Parts: sequence; structure tokens; C-alpha cells
Amino acid sequence: MAKELRQIAIYGKGGIGKSTTTQNLTAGLTELGKNVMVVGCDPKADSTRLLLGGLAQKTVLDTLRDEGDEVELDSILKTGFGGTRCVESGGPEPGVGCAGRGIITSIGLLERLGAYTDDLDYVFYDVLGDVVCGGFAMPIREGKAKEIYIVASGEMMSLYAANNISKGISRYAAKGGVRLGGIICNSRNVDREIELLRAFAEELGTQLIHFVPRDNVVQHAEIHKQTVIQYKPQAKQADEYRQLARKIEENEMFVIPKPMTQDRLEEILLEYGLMDNIEDDYRI
Amino acid sequence: MPKKINLDIASVEQREQRLGTIIAWDGTTEDLHKQSSYELRGQRERGTGCGGNCRLCELQGPFTQGSVCSEQMVECQAGNVRDAVLIQHAPIGCGGGQVPYNNIYRNGLAMRGFPVENIRIINTNLLESDMVFGAADKLRQSIDDAYKRYQPQAIFVASSCATGIIGEDIESITDEKEAELGIPVIPMACEGFRSKHWSTGFDATQHGILRQIVRKNPTKKQEDLVNVINLWGSDVFSPMLAHLDLRVNYVVDLASVEELAQMSEAAATVGFCYTLSSYMAAALEQHFGVPEVKAPMPYGFAGTDAWLRELAKVTHREHLVEKFIQEEHARVKPKVEELKQKLKGVKGFVATGSAYAHGLIQVLRELEVEVDGSLTFHHDPVYDSGDQREDSLGHLNEHYGQVKNFHVSNRQQYQLYAFLQENQPDFLLIRHNGLAPLASRLGIPSAPLGDEHIAVGYDGIVNLGETILEILAHKKFHDDIKQHVKLPYKKWWLEQKDAYVLARHPELVKFDEEEYRAEQERKEAAHA
Repeated sequence: MAKELRQIAIYGKGGIGKSTTTQNLTAGLTELGKNVMVVGCDPKADSTRLLLGGLAQKTVLDTLRDEGDEVELDSILKTGFGGTRCVESGGPEPGVGCAGRGIITSIGLLERLGAYTDDLDYVFYDVLGDVVCGGFAMPIREGKAKEIYIVASGEMMSLYAANNISKGISRYAAKGGVRLGGIICNSRNVDREIELLRAFAEELGTQLIHFVPRDNVVQHAEIHKQTVIQYKPQAKQADEYRQLARKIEENEMFVIPKPMTQDRLEEILLEYGLMDNIEDDYRI
Repeated sequence: MPKKINLDIASVEQREQRLGTIIAWDGTTEDLHKQSSYELRGQRERGTGCGGNCRLCELQGPFTQGSVCSEQMVECQAGNVRDAVLIQHAPIGCGGGQVPYNNIYRNGLAMRGFPVENIRIINTNLLESDMVFGAADKLRQSIDDAYKRYQPQAIFVASSCATGIIGEDIESITDEKEAELGIPVIPMACEGFRSKHWSTGFDATQHGILRQIVRKNPTKKQEDLVNVINLWGSDVFSPMLAHLDLRVNYVVDLASVEELAQMSEAAATVGFCYTLSSYMAAALEQHFGVPEVKAPMPYGFAGTDAWLRELAKVTHREHLVEKFIQEEHARVKPKVEELKQKLKGVKGFVATGSAYAHGLIQVLRELEVEVDGSLTFHHDPVYDSGDQREDSLGHLNEHYGQVKNFHVSNRQQYQLYAFLQENQPDFLLIRHNGLAPLASRLGIPSAPLGDEHIAVGYDGIVNLGETILEILAHKKFHDDIKQHVKLPYKKWWLEQKDAYVLARHPELVKFDEEEYRAEQERKEAAHA
């Protein structure tokens, strides 16, 4: 039986840890014997740094600009840790051009060049912060990524962004097969974070698929331009990412999210986001 | 006081925001005038809530823009400056307008006795990667190329929808190049989506000229010079103004950059149509102290008399004007009487730009041609000066009576069909492309007024009368066309009385999926 390619888009507030989570998670999937491609959809082009051991990648758009239409797949697709195939869409310098259009252009080019081969089990799209325009929704349009995971933490603005992203998902879900697979918590150690994220996910009609605790080893691995699984395979944090990978591999809960009103979101925060007994303790 | 025109920012304020422009309306000119409340709007500061600033109600139909946009208005103004170059920072498709505007430019040059040459418009040919990365270098290169190739006195740069969406910073590049080349390099914000009506494109060009070409502190005044804001029409103003010892400075089309620069030295500014001249004339008065002649437009006896008197007053030539008016009346009235006889019982319909239509209807009424209906592409409830003497619609109503079937319709041919059924005219006055063919198919000849000055002044009454007689002579030809063509509309539309039914009943165009499927099935069955 031909296996089905799962295309997954990772969204979430800027700086929440989408790229770190995606790369560690894909490293975990390769340990399960999966063939994975990671497509960075951020003009900063740092979505594959940990898999490739540095910003070694010439982006699709830079290549397109320099070489015109004669682009070869080899020049934009690099192999990283565990055999992951890494692509960076890239984009314009900050403040010029249109990064959204860049994503449209580069995904179009990847399709044309045959990057989506039959042996792939997963394609991950790591998308810049908020879905500010049509271009950033490209990975979930036209039958590309059908599964979405939102990376969030217990911080108010991250939940606000996650709720907004859910609005975008429900818009595309109405027309296509796009579904939310769950919320990944990248912990910031705020009050009652796990309960808050569970309540938030439930309210959206989805699940908290995994709670990734905060651990300094992630920072160390990043400095060494590696995923935790490569840098310290024995670390407890490496197991967390392996668990996340397994949960995604086994996930069967795909929903159309029910975004909440701002009022409801704030209610949930009030209900779960404060610890009564340590009200004046602001240590993180 | 009306709101002062802001020349500090690079992009012009859209016409609908400045003036409350609408593009769909249906009723009598008296109703429209009442709802426009020119006087109130003119007196109060616009943009400050509902004090004479209530939005003029507008019909919301499913169709709006008709085959033209602001950028094209920039092409036909900035592109027609004799010693300048226009760069379209746009995908190549926007260059499609270069063909008709070259035709217009060459004709204009010939009419005014200039050597005939091709229009100088360059397109930067934006491609996919330009959209992603921006195309600042392409624009720099085009500006350099334009400078080397033509040694222009100014370079205009028109934005496009594409550059507008990606937020291309045209202004910083034009600033940089202006400093480097030592000539004005002028950015113009004329994205097609920026305004619901294309006349904003006129204002965009004029805004750029006012900011970067017009001399800021002129050392001399030319007390006999009058700025005439026009397009490419034949030179009818010079002979007329010569009687008042005044010289004409035609702007924007067919002017040189120096002629644009000297606008601040002139004694007054006039126009042939407030739609076109409103912005620049008001700004010249507010920022450069050149008075705008605030009067009815120079159409028909009443309009021309009042216009000349006000021009004479502003330029201190009252002693010359009465004699001229008297002589002209004596000279022209017999000819007009003659034309009236020949045009007896003839009915006309005017389909042109807004203020211009008011003027043309006045001339037709002067000729006693019946005009029950008109179509204008938009309506400005007030003009930029806010001065009531410029209330062209009010002047029409007051001196020539109302028009009972007055339609604001932005070049919508399907609506024109219903208007013509309603009014059954013998001929049409038309200036823009796209509408005359429909009239021809209905057997109605049209006068394509390519020369916009045809109806201006006393001679304009005679000119227009003669033109109408000429086109009426083509009636047989149009009847033949009518015999041999079929209109593209369904029976339902052909029988429709209300041209705005789609605006009044939006449910009519709601897509009914079931009905659509049923129709497809019927078709398939019929095919099998």
C-alpha cells in the first residue's frame, strides 16, 4: 500500500520556538525511520540551522534571483541530520519587497522541481509568526499542508496569536481539508501553564498534544548548531522531543478549531493563569 | 474654511476623501444638487464629522470600475508633458495604455502646431522576483536610462497596483535621483485600487507637479498670464483671452516643464472642467497665491458671460470685458438662431465626465436641443475650493433647468442601454471610449468629442451645434448597423426599465447553486 505523505504546517507567535521545536521534532521522526523534508517559510531563513549545522543553505529565492529559471533542485535542497531534506524559502531584506509573495513563489518552484518525492513520509512547513497576509497562508492552501500544529506557551500574547491562527485555519478548513492537529506547549514556566494550555486547547476543540518543558540544554544545543537529539541524545529533553514525534506519528485527532472571542480568552486566562497562593511572587 | 490642500505628503489624498465623490446615483439634477449640498460642504471644514460632511448617498451595484484607472489618468497627463518622461513602475501590462495615449499625444501636438513625436513612457517591466525582493534598482536604472536617452527636464514615476501592494519605497528613490540628476523626479501615488474613481489620477499628477515643479518663490509675476488647466484640446482660449489682453499658459498636457514651473507667476487659473482643474487650481491659490477664477464654467451664453466677467475682475480687466461680451453676443447669436432652427425637435443625451457634462448640457439647452437624460462617470458634491460660484450643477439647474434622468454611472455600458431606452435620444455626446459602440448598435450616432474644447465659449455653442448636424447626417449608417447586430444582453435585461436594479435588488445576482446545476444539467441533456 502506498503510504500517504503527511504535510504539516507549524504556526505560532514569533519567537515562541517554532523552528527549534520543528527541528527537534523532525530529528525525532527520523529516529523512527521516517523520511522528512523541512521547508522554512521565514525570510530570516533560520528554520533548518540546527539540522544543517549552521546557516549553510542558499535560499530558494536567492537562487531563483541569481540563476533565473534554470534552478536545479540540488542547489536548494540540502541533506541534514538524520537524512532530513532541508529547504529555506528565504525572502527579501527586511522592509522591502514582499515576503508573502516570496513564499508563494518558492513553494511553487519546489513543486515544479519535483521536491515532493514519493518516498517522503513528512513535509514540515515552518512558517513565520502571524499569518499576516495570503502568502503566509500558502502552506495550508491548495491541498498542501492538511495538518497544523500551533506552538504556544502560557503567555497571554502567545495564546492570543494561537487563537488568531485558528481563525485562519477555520477559514481554510471550510474550503479544504485543513485541520488542526493540536497545540504544542513550549513551556515558559508561567503559572499553571499546563492547565491553562489544556483548557485553551479544549476550548478550541483540540488537544494539548505535548508539553515540552523548559530546559537549558536546548539553548546549549542551539549554540552548537544542533538539535538536542544530536547534541545530547541521552538528555531528558531529547526524550521529550521523541515523545512529541511519536504522538504526532500516532495522532488521529484532527479538528476544525473553534476560535474564541477575546473576552472568552481573557476569562480562561483569569481562571487558569494565576496561582492564588503565590499572587505576589513573580519569579519565573 | 474648506480643508487646505496638503502638499507636504508625497501621495495625493483620494478624491472620495477630499470631496465625497460618488460613482453611482440615479435621479434628477435638482435632487442631486440638493443632496450634494454644495454650499454647506464648501463652507465647513471637510473631514470633521457630519457638519455638511455627511456622505452623499450612493447606489452600491455589483460593478464599479469601467476599463480605466488612476494610473491611466497619470499617463494621459504626466505622459503628455513635452520635455518630460513618465516611468511606469509596473508590470508590463500597465504599458497597454501607451498605445492610445501615444495616439492622443501625437494628435494633440499636431492640433497645437508642435512637431509631432512619440510619447515617452517607459515601463520597468516588474517580474515575479521583483515582487518578492522589491525593484528599487530596476527603477534607478530606468530613471538613468530615461535621463540619458531623452535629457528630460523632469521625470515622473507612476506607482502601480503591484508596487502599492508590496510597499515599494518609490519616494526615497526619486529623492535620491532628483538630488543626483538635478531635475525634478516626481513620484505619483496612482495605484488603481487606491481610489474608487480614476479621476484621482488627475489629482496625483497635479499633486506631484505642485510639489516638485511649480516655482516656490517666483521672483517675477506675469500679470497677463492665465493658467488654463486642460487636456490636449485645440487652442480656443488664446483668441478668447487675447480680447482681454491675456496670454494663455496651457497645463498639464502638451506643456513644457518650464510652462508648468511658471504657473506660480500667473495672474489667474481657469479650467474647462472643474473635475480636471479643481485640485490644481485650488492648490495654486492656497499655496502660491495665484487666484482661481471662481465662476460657472465657460459654456453657453450665461456660463461664458459670468466666467469672462470673473476672469476680468481677477485680472483687473473689467474695462475690456463688457465690450467683448457684447460683440460676441452680436456675432454669435444669429448663428445660434440659425442652428436652433436646424436642430428643432432634436433630442440629445450626454455621456461624459462629471462637470464637463454639466457644461455640455448647458450648450445643448442654449441650442434648444432637448436633453432629458445624461450619464456622468462620477459626481463630486463639492470642488476643492469649496467656493459656491464653482457649483456647476447648481448653475445648470438655475440657468438652464434641471435634467430629469440624471445618472451617475462609471462607464457601465449595460446601464447605458437602459438609459437610452428611457430617453430615446437622436444623438449622443461622448468623450471616452467604451460607450459609443453601444449607441451605434442601437442606431444612435455619437459625437466623439476628442477635442475637449469644442463646446467652450461663444464659438463653442456654434461648434457643438454644427457637430451635431454632422453626426445626425450619419443616421442612415447607424440604422444599418442596428439592422445587422445583436446585443449581448439577455431578454430579461433588454426589458429591464431600471438600470440600477442590480444595486437596488442585490438578491438578483446572488449565485443560486441549485439553479446553476439544474441549468448545466439541462444543457448537457440538450447536448446529448
